[in-house]
Amino acid sequence: MNEQFDRRNFLKMSGAMLAAGTAGCATGITGSAVAGTSAAVMTGIKAPIPKAKGPRLVVVGAGTSGMTIAAHAKKNYPNFDVVVIDKRDMYSSCFNSNLWYVGIINMEFLADHSFLDAAVNNKYTFLNATVTGLDRASRTLVTSEGEVNYDFLVLAPGISYDYDKIGVKDVETMTALRQMYPGGFISPMEHVTLKRKIQEFEGGVFVQSVPGGNYRCLPGPYERACLMASWIKKNKLKGKVVILDANPEVTIKKQGFHAAFDELYKGIIEYKPGMAITGVDVEKKTIKTEFDSVQFDDASIYANVRGNTLIEQLGLMAPSTKSGQKEADVDVRFYNYIGDPHVYVTGDSRPHPYSKSANTSNTEGQFVAKVLAARAQGKEIAWESPETVCYSMTNAFPPEAIKVDAKYTYDPVKDAITGFSPDTKTWEVRDQAMGRAYLEWAQGIYRDMFG
Amino acid sequence: MDRRDFVKVCAGGTALALANWDSLVLAGGFEAFPAAKLTNKIGIPLKATEIPTGEALVFSYPVAGVPCFLINLGKKTTKPKPGLRGESDEYNWAGGVGPHGQFVAYVGICTHQLSYPTQEVSFLRYAVDGSSVADAPNRIVCCAHSSVFDPVEGGRPVGGPATFPLLPVRLAYDPVSDEISADGIIGMEFIKRFMKTYKRDLIAKYGPGGYLQPVEGKAIAMPLSQYSEVVPAC
Ligand SMILES: Cc1cc2nc3c(=O)[nH]c(=O)nc-3n(C[C@H](O)[C@H](O)[C@H](O)COP(=O)(O)OP(=O)(O)OC[C@H]3O[C@@H](n4cnc5c(N)ncnc54)[C@H](O)[C@@H]3O)c2cc1C
Ligand code: FES
Repeated sequence: MNEQFDRRNFLKMSGAMLAAGTAGCATGITGSAVAGTSAAVMTGIKAPIPKAKGPRLVVVGAGTSGMTIAAHAKKNYPNFDVVVIDKRDMYSSCFNSNLWYVGIINMEFLADHSFLDAAVNNKYTFLNATVTGLDRASRTLVTSEGEVNYDFLVLAPGISYDYDKIGVKDVETMTALRQMYPGGFISPMEHVTLKRKIQEFEGGVFVQSVPGGNYRCLPGPYERACLMASWIKKNKLKGKVVILDANPEVTIKKQGFHAAFDELYKGIIEYKPGMAITGVDVEKKTIKTEFDSVQFDDASIYANVRGNTLIEQLGLMAPSTKSGQKEADVDVRFYNYIGDPHVYVTGDSRPHPYSKSANTSNTEGQFVAKVLAARAQGKEIAWESPETVCYSMTNAFPPEAIKVDAKYTYDPVKDAITGFSPDTKTWEVRDQAMGRAYLEWAQGIYRDMFG
Repeated sequence: MDRRDFVKVCAGGTALALANWDSLVLAGGFEAFPAAKLTNKIGIPLKATEIPTGEALVFSYPVAGVPCFLINLGKKTTKPKPGLRGESDEYNWAGGVGPHGQFVAYVGICTHQLSYPTQEVSFLRYAVDGSSVADAPNRIVCCAHSSVFDPVEGGRPVGGPATFPLLPVRLAYDPVSDEISADGIIGMEFIKRFMKTYKRDLIAKYGPGGYLQPVEGKAIAMPLSQYSEVVPAC
């Protein structure tokens, strides 16, 4: 089936973001002097990397966005001297990790990708370090391994959770939730814990929550609920998955998901829309919502998302009038921090109402690499929309998927992203062909990031 | 016939020693390789008039590890197309061969993120009747990220994320015998990238170096639906 995408969905999905708006952002590329912003003490000790042999492009975050930009930067401008910095020393993919829980793919699929090979293949330097500070006046980045100077800096650190927004304000409860009931939308260790939980589930109520706002991977929590339900069904367990959705309706591919809930998982999935979490009692295993409370045996509590805390630490966060999720204050089309043509923020820390997904970061990254190459040569290029091709597996046995393919519209008068482009399509009748293509989709992105 | 036999039958001589791989790369334009006549499974040359229009035939060229699509566009006519933008250079596409240029061939590797047909599955296919991803008939579609290519127009991308055409394979048609040969391709840099990306898989399938064995003299062309066990539609 091939339908016109419902435009209202877009507004719903990103209502908060659009309402806050990016209208009125000055491009700021011509802004000259940049105020220094030290978020960490400078020591003068340099990180152990070779001297720059051309304009130095430093990319922080070896996730989908950063790896794509690093892979494409030199292809667009061979003079670039590229350094990629990440705090993790082993890649494991967030996208597709839901499929691992029920054995559709193995761990190798997610993690058999080396930062070292990517650096050699794409002729850059990989530095395994944590970024802690930035001095924009002297163009110096502070890391756990020493300082790195840059001509161009891209920050692509992804997201952090915002437990405040689900009414969890004390550190004890937040820590307990992080460790015992992880959302599973950031780090591989969360995935390992969730896999254990799903495979050890013997019955009862498993809650999968869906946050409000523009959270990472809109279909992700619904997909996970479907795969878990598929597992419960196959193993004939006396259990159910309760989806506690802060949104009034499934946020994306809603026909495809509802079809799966009704046709495949009647009595196994209980879908509860409009149930924003307002607090959790970890001891009593109770989730509170505005009008209700829900008892659970096990759970994955997906708190709201925000720009990675690094963005705030480095002083690059947008005011709340521009981003309700503590994302970066960047130019709508070209991603430079407002007023600083040397610093860029991309991927899921961007303030745009784009779907926070791998395909978005991959296509956006290819564009940003071109922007950087042009600017390193004193040129400008025209804006290109990122593309969100996003599959969701709604059945595990056999693997069957649904899909959306969306681009976005930019309004030059408002200087804002205003919606999905008219050629957006969804495929909401699950089938095995899309189930297989889903795997190849991911492999293609890995090839682009690491090849 | 298993994969190795397939390669043995196709790969005749030693014209391309492995050590010469690097020197194969020429700048721009078609790179000539020893000609290979397209044959059926048992090595009998295909008669162009008998080539089906419903799907692509797959043959290896110019080396065993590179799958190519031979397409009979039926009633469609092709014309030369100058100035196609490849990955790094511009080049001229000579158009198809045959009475009205209906026979065309392209390297069967998606120029977006290198999806290609394997024995197990092919996400790349010629969709003669159109598909939900291609808005028109006679297109080559890649289900991985929905790229669409137009084989009538030199394989240029007409939809999805691919930014440059499928690599063209040069064909020669002999009207007397009604037989078709391949004798050149464009884009060896891209092929080298493909080889590097999939080296582990290619070694597993063809043995060390086997994927670099030259294909000359003959190349077996078989329907994609037989070459790959699964060809998902999209
Ligand atoms: C379970 C799950 C399912 C998903 N499913 C899909 C899907 O089906 N389709 C889809 O398109 N997308 C999906 N996604 C979303 C997709 O993975 C993300 O949107 C995308 O990867 C975001 O890329 P990014 O580069 O912005 O962030 P990330 O990929 O998270 O990368 C951020 C990087 O920054 C590094 N970093 C952070 N702070 C620092 C620091 N201080 N110093 C150094 N390094 C730092 C991190 O270690 C990390 O490597 C899914 C995600 C998850 C978790
Ligand atoms: S690999 Fe073919 S569309 Fe991406």
